[in-house]
Amino acid sequence: MNALRQTVSKILGHPATIIVALLVLWFWPASTDRSTVQLLSFVMLNILLAQSINLLTGVAGQISLGHAGFFAIGAYGSALLVKSAGAPVIAAIFGGTAITAVVGWLLAVPAGRVKEFYLAMMTSGFGLLCFEIIKEWNDVTGGVMGLSGIASPTLKSLTILGMKIDGIDYFRILLVAAAIVLWLLRNFIQSHHGRAFFAIQASEIAAGSIGIDQARTKRRAYSISAAIAGLAGAFYAHLVGYLGPDSFTIMRSVEVLVMAVVGGIGTIIGPILGAVLFTYLPSKLQAFAAYQFMVYGLILMVVFLLFRKGFAGAIAEPARFIPGRALRAVGLTAAGVPARVDASAAQTAQSSVAAAGHQTDAAPLLEVRDLVKRFAGLVAVDGVSLALHPGRITALIGPNGSGKSTLVNVASGIYTPSSGQVILRGKEIGGQASHAIAAQGVIRTFQDPRLVPSFTVRENILLGAHLRYRSSMIASALRLPGVMKEEQAHLLRATQVMEVAGLSGVADQLLESLPYGYRRLTEVARAMMADPDVLMLDEPAAGLSEGELGRLAEVIRYIKSQGKSVLLIEHHMDFVNDIVDDVVVLDSGRVIYRGDMSGMRRDPAVIEAYLGIQQVAHD
Amino acid sequence: MGFAASLILGGISVGAVYALIALGLNLTFLTTRTLNFGQGSVMMLAAVAAVLFAGQGMGLYAALLAGIVLVGLVGGLTEVIAIRPIAKLGGSMGWVVTTLGIGIFLQGFVAKYFGSQALAFPSFLFSPRDYVSVFGVRLSAQYLVILAIALVLVLAFEYFLKRTAWGRALQAVAMDPDLASVMGVPVRKVVTLSYVGSGILAGIAGILVAQITGTVDSAFGFNLLIFGFVAAVLGGIGNTWGALAGGLFLGVTEKLVGGYISTAAEQGIAFALLMLALAIRPEGLLGEKEVVKV
Repeated sequence: MNALRQTVSKILGHPATIIVALLVLWFWPASTDRSTVQLLSFVMLNILLAQSINLLTGVAGQISLGHAGFFAIGAYGSALLVKSAGAPVIAAIFGGTAITAVVGWLLAVPAGRVKEFYLAMMTSGFGLLCFEIIKEWNDVTGGVMGLSGIASPTLKSLTILGMKIDGIDYFRILLVAAAIVLWLLRNFIQSHHGRAFFAIQASEIAAGSIGIDQARTKRRAYSISAAIAGLAGAFYAHLVGYLGPDSFTIMRSVEVLVMAVVGGIGTIIGPILGAVLFTYLPSKLQAFAAYQFMVYGLILMVVFLLFRKGFAGAIAEPARFIPGRALRAVGLTAAGVPARVDASAAQTAQSSVAAAGHQTDAAPLLEVRDLVKRFAGLVAVDGVSLALHPGRITALIGPNGSGKSTLVNVASGIYTPSSGQVILRGKEIGGQASHAIAAQGVIRTFQDPRLVPSFTVRENILLGAHLRYRSSMIASALRLPGVMKEEQAHLLRATQVMEVAGLSGVADQLLESLPYGYRRLTEVARAMMADPDVLMLDEPAAGLSEGELGRLAEVIRYIKSQGKSVLLIEHHMDFVNDIVDDVVVLDSGRVIYRGDMSGMRRDPAVIEAYLGIQQVAHD
Repeated sequence: MGFAASLILGGISVGAVYALIALGLNLTFLTTRTLNFGQGSVMMLAAVAAVLFAGQGMGLYAALLAGIVLVGLVGGLTEVIAIRPIAKLGGSMGWVVTTLGIGIFLQGFVAKYFGSQALAFPSFLFSPRDYVSVFGVRLSAQYLVILAIALVLVLAFEYFLKRTAWGRALQAVAMDPDLASVMGVPVRKVVTLSYVGSGILAGIAGILVAQITGTVDSAFGFNLLIFGFVAAVLGGIGNTWGALAGGLFLGVTEKLVGGYISTAAEQGIAFALLMLALAIRPEGLLGEKEVVKV
């Protein structure tokens, strides 16, 4: 079965397959009847729509039940630009797409503030609002009577650049447009921008911790998704020549969702399969058409239980998110097996890893002063001060509930301080957004590893480099040469980081298939990849085996040797004893001890609070 | 004066029905942090079934009761097939899609076997033409009855939640299902029954709305689900009095906008309000902010 999937993936992903498919689709319409051409045109539109929802829901994880709204805005926008403003059709199609992108951006402002089912409700509300506006705004949209006489091949009234466009020409335009969109989308998803979308889906908090601006990323996801749906809408208007509100009901949104989900969201091939299937079936099978909504309902009922990964998951290998070309260029095959090593490139990456020097007695990098954090009545952190120096490892220990994680959460921008300061290199950063703090060189890990489960270890670690990437979205979508160079440089560094962390052996395994210890180490490696000045590790040793503990200690020492500050929350005393320079002990949100390990073991307050009052301390 | 009063009464009456829908959503939200996205079809099914049962010669009240019982069962079934098996996936995408799927299936089923044409819904108690005169203002008797029924149910619901053993069990599950289970509360039963109750509330709401509109068809309902959700969100999801306040606010706003600005904007305003309310205060105007756990 796996071998079969690999073969299918190879065939589907092969350039020759794509070229043959495009050629067949280009020449087929000439030898077939009009209704088939129309059907094929609808397939192209639905591919665009399914990809649009796939990008927003499948990739960025923002569920949408309102895609009919975007589709409608593109359709009416383009039709009205031609009919009322007299714009040329090409300009109108781009105009409709642009308007929809702007609406998507605007929708992201309220929608970006809500998640989960609130978001599902909000997007349904958006779709229904668009429907109401089309239906009721008679003067502009024609209301329930609709908008007729739109330039289209059906009415033989479509001219583009002075050329009369018939149904076959129009289909070919759609084919080229869909192919271009798919190509751009594939490039985008296999770039750090696309991977950031997945990071947002997996955990917004973790995404922020590695410097991904959540709100901006979501605005991008909404705008791009809206633009694609708007483009489909604009093409739809000029395909059928008539627009009425009934084409843009909530059922249209559901249909689009069904196509994407059944095909397999989070992939490029999935929504294509879904769109082909659900355009073909209702038009060719009378029986299917009669039971269409019952079938959609049943599919939605069972899809998450029976085939979460859709058709794409059943027939092909999971999609990968690093361009194969970049992998091959750094001496890895697409499957990730090392082939040859480019010595000079590796050297450059090495020097960049070792860039920072030692400054053991320098001023503190990060300082926390009189920090207080209250939750309603509870004071979790009660006036804590501590300083992290370059090249030193500070352990933060204390019983459960003593405020250790809260302190890290405040320092990393997940919570705002109730009072007190967080100072980085002499500058107050308390209360800034987590991604902004990360961008200034403060990176943290979590008690429970928060990674992208469907990514490989390598892809997860590359996420850590997010802040180091410079390529724009457009450059990434066009896959300009600079983008590939940058990707290669980060891949080389990721390879080194994985070597240090002992993850080379599992680099290309899916994270969700790995045991807990590897996930922990992957998260630490991801943080290393960000090349932070201050690294805060929240219980990194929890649940690790002896061997893994040794590896983790090596990793932490390595980070220290790079002149970084490390804050380590840990319960595992032997582990802490071996590696730390300074210890700060918290109890009930207050500092009860600071100094070195041996002093801590003798300190009566620590013994009472942490080790228990009866226990006798040994050195 | 008479115009404004009748608009406001209409709004209050419709709003009280929205509050009922919101209570149905609150109920399942409390026990499982889930909502039935197919609730619109549940409302539709209750009304359609009542019309069909009555058409088969069943007495009108018996038919209404049968419709409500039927959707109570559908509610319970929804929990068993669309919520429980999905819970382990985490996140809400799974159950949103599965419950929506049930709703669409029901809608498709009714459209296929009973036609997508609107069915006339028989009026009970009063006809739409009956009026009561209050201080010289003619008020629709039907609206008053609907208002009374809805208000009584809201009060009964709050009484059930606060004063009965099952209500307390439900609150315990809402607080912490694991702890409730340890304390001997039959959590699974409470959860399934919350879905049954939610279905019953939706069924009553559906019948009351069908009474106002006079007809019911297969597509009836999805908008109502959104209106109920707006009421729940405005009032803070999970909060009974909030649901009532939110429902009344939405109903009156809708009717006033319809009466004084344009009937075309009557529905749109609710959707706009939903987006606005969620954007400003996702936890609701009367709700408590949930602390993000890290």
